[in-house]
Amino acid sequence: MAISPSASGVSGANALASSLRSYARDHAVHLLVIAVLAAYPGVYAVAVNSPFSAEAVALLPRVETMVAVLYFGLFAVSFDFVSGYTGYLSFGHATFYGVGAYLVVLTANGKIPLLPASTPFVLLLVLGGLLAVVFAVIIGAVSFRLSGVYFAMITLGFSQVLYVFVRDWGYLGSNPRDGVAVTGRTEGFEIGVPGVDSLSLAVGQLTGDTVELLGVVHLTAAEVSYYMVGIVVLVCYFAMQRVVHSPFGRTLVAIRENEERARAIGYNTFYYKLGAFAISAFFAGIAGGLFAGYRRSVTPESGFYFLTTGDALLASIIGGFGTLAGPLYGHLFDEGVREFLSKGGSGGGLLPYLRENVGQGTMETVVYNGMTVGETIDVFLNGRAALYVGVVFVLFVLYVPNGLLGTVRDRLILSDRDD
Amino acid sequence: MVLRTRGLTKQFGGLTAVDGVEFDLAADECCSLIGPNGAGKTTFFDLLTGKLTPTAGTVELRTAGDWIDVTDAPPHRTAGFGLHRSYQITNLFTENTVRENVRIAAQAAGGDAMNCWHNAGAFEEYITEAEAILDRVGLAEDADESAGALSHGAKRQLEIAVALAGDPDVLLLDEPNAGVSSESVGDVVALIEDVATDHAVLLVEHNMDIVMTVSDRIVVLNQGSVIADGEPAAVRADETVQRAYLGGYERGDVDDHTEGAGGVA
Repeated sequence: MAISPSASGVSGANALASSLRSYARDHAVHLLVIAVLAAYPGVYAVAVNSPFSAEAVALLPRVETMVAVLYFGLFAVSFDFVSGYTGYLSFGHATFYGVGAYLVVLTANGKIPLLPASTPFVLLLVLGGLLAVVFAVIIGAVSFRLSGVYFAMITLGFSQVLYVFVRDWGYLGSNPRDGVAVTGRTEGFEIGVPGVDSLSLAVGQLTGDTVELLGVVHLTAAEVSYYMVGIVVLVCYFAMQRVVHSPFGRTLVAIRENEERARAIGYNTFYYKLGAFAISAFFAGIAGGLFAGYRRSVTPESGFYFLTTGDALLASIIGGFGTLAGPLYGHLFDEGVREFLSKGGSGGGLLPYLRENVGQGTMETVVYNGMTVGETIDVFLNGRAALYVGVVFVLFVLYVPNGLLGTVRDRLILSDRDD
Repeated sequence: MVLRTRGLTKQFGGLTAVDGVEFDLAADECCSLIGPNGAGKTTFFDLLTGKLTPTAGTVELRTAGDWIDVTDAPPHRTAGFGLHRSYQITNLFTENTVRENVRIAAQAAGGDAMNCWHNAGAFEEYITEAEAILDRVGLAEDADESAGALSHGAKRQLEIAVALAGDPDVLLLDEPNAGVSSESVGDVVALIEDVATDHAVLLVEHNMDIVMTVSDRIVVLNQGSVIADGEPAAVRADETVQRAYLGGYERGDVDDHTEGAGGVA
């Protein structure tokens, strides 16, 4: 969303004014989104203590859910970075998420040679990203010999091999099939400046820091995690955003549009694709590290399994392929719908709301053939979240093929498209 | 000379598509390659650019006074050496704007394409170059359109613009006139004559009016072999060429190419 090509290309004196205008406008959108996200925990706290408490609890995602939206959203954004911009569907992307996550947990358990259990978390995030880059270069060097569906399949193959490997490698933990939890480190994983306690805050539901400021602001562990994870996600997003709008990023779009011609005008597309794959893996590794640091455990299913990639694909399609920020909104939408339709205890939603707020008399009214309203609600809502998410997904593919953000951009910025 | 091939041969199984072609192209020359369908013209282009690897023979380019062998060089390397082509079937970055199509090609010729930190808009030399090229091919007004939305004729112009943006020494034009309506033939001729002033041009074209008008030299390919090579007038008079390809082409059609626009297609 930075300076758009068409705006900066206007000749003459208009160029500067127009690019400044477009710069301010595009970053105004960024600032607005950041402000809304930053205000969210406060808004949520106020809303659940207001007279509309029941409605707020039912409709708004919990702050804990929002933390997951942020780190998984970063993973989905990194997936879009390679799949949406080069057109090569990285169907084994969960590999890089898993590599980042496992590195954090295993280091904390003292299982990684040369890295002490007390290694600063921020350093672990970077190392997890770099390890993911190594995996990406190896996997990409083989996979980019293929294209289209064959590329998707071979990357999927690599991730499934690694999935089986981490499931059965006894070195990782006592029962690797059920995943590995952090056991060797009791203190929380701190995000901030390594070694400076006053500039670092721990994340995690139980191990996270809480903050008291001037007796007015009180932040729970979940809220602190939300802000600290949010800062990392924001930095990563802006880094990827810069790459997308750089000459390198434009070349990726050219490869997506017409790889043969991109080669004919002088680009060695193999290296550009491999570079994009490595950059994307780096940020996926960081996302995995954030996930492991916050949850303090990782399973083969949450790391290397193809359904993890599937969730990123879902987020990208709902949010908008090739929009970079879209998958974050897509995942927010996905999680929001899931939580809204889930049972009580996992964030509340429509079902507990109806159970508590619909009168006993109405609940027992027979709707059809002896079935009461209460039973009907149960049949349609209890544990059916995945079904409705599936329906929403189908509707999106059919009617909103450009996704949430893609459609908004098309409508609002029709005259100067991003690419 | 800027380009030469020696004994260039390409076989697909039992079929010899290009058969021992000896070809030279001078730096200031506009040479046309003609021949019936299936004569091996596009295969010859693919061999020059490196899209195909020859079965035998060599392709050499002259850069900075030295001959370099590009026989086995892939397309992105031959492009780097200054050999650029346009396509018979329009082959553009369709979702991108017209300007971006040319800018990305200009960027490939510069050294900044691996830069992944600065905004592409900050490299103004490529944007300026793209604007200048669009102006030259007559597409300046469509710069903000998406390439896929252009009319067919405009897409053919953009084809040439993208090839020009790579700063070529040798420009290979593969039927720039393909599918263009007869009224626009004059525009295509003017464009070819214009780019031939500062590039070595090798043109594949079926429209004899265009070929006879713009060429300094004509090479006739039939079944993969060169059967004639010379001045337009000499080639036109050649008996073998007459039999193989030209059919009833008569002098006179050349002089008035608005009427004889259909030519021998």
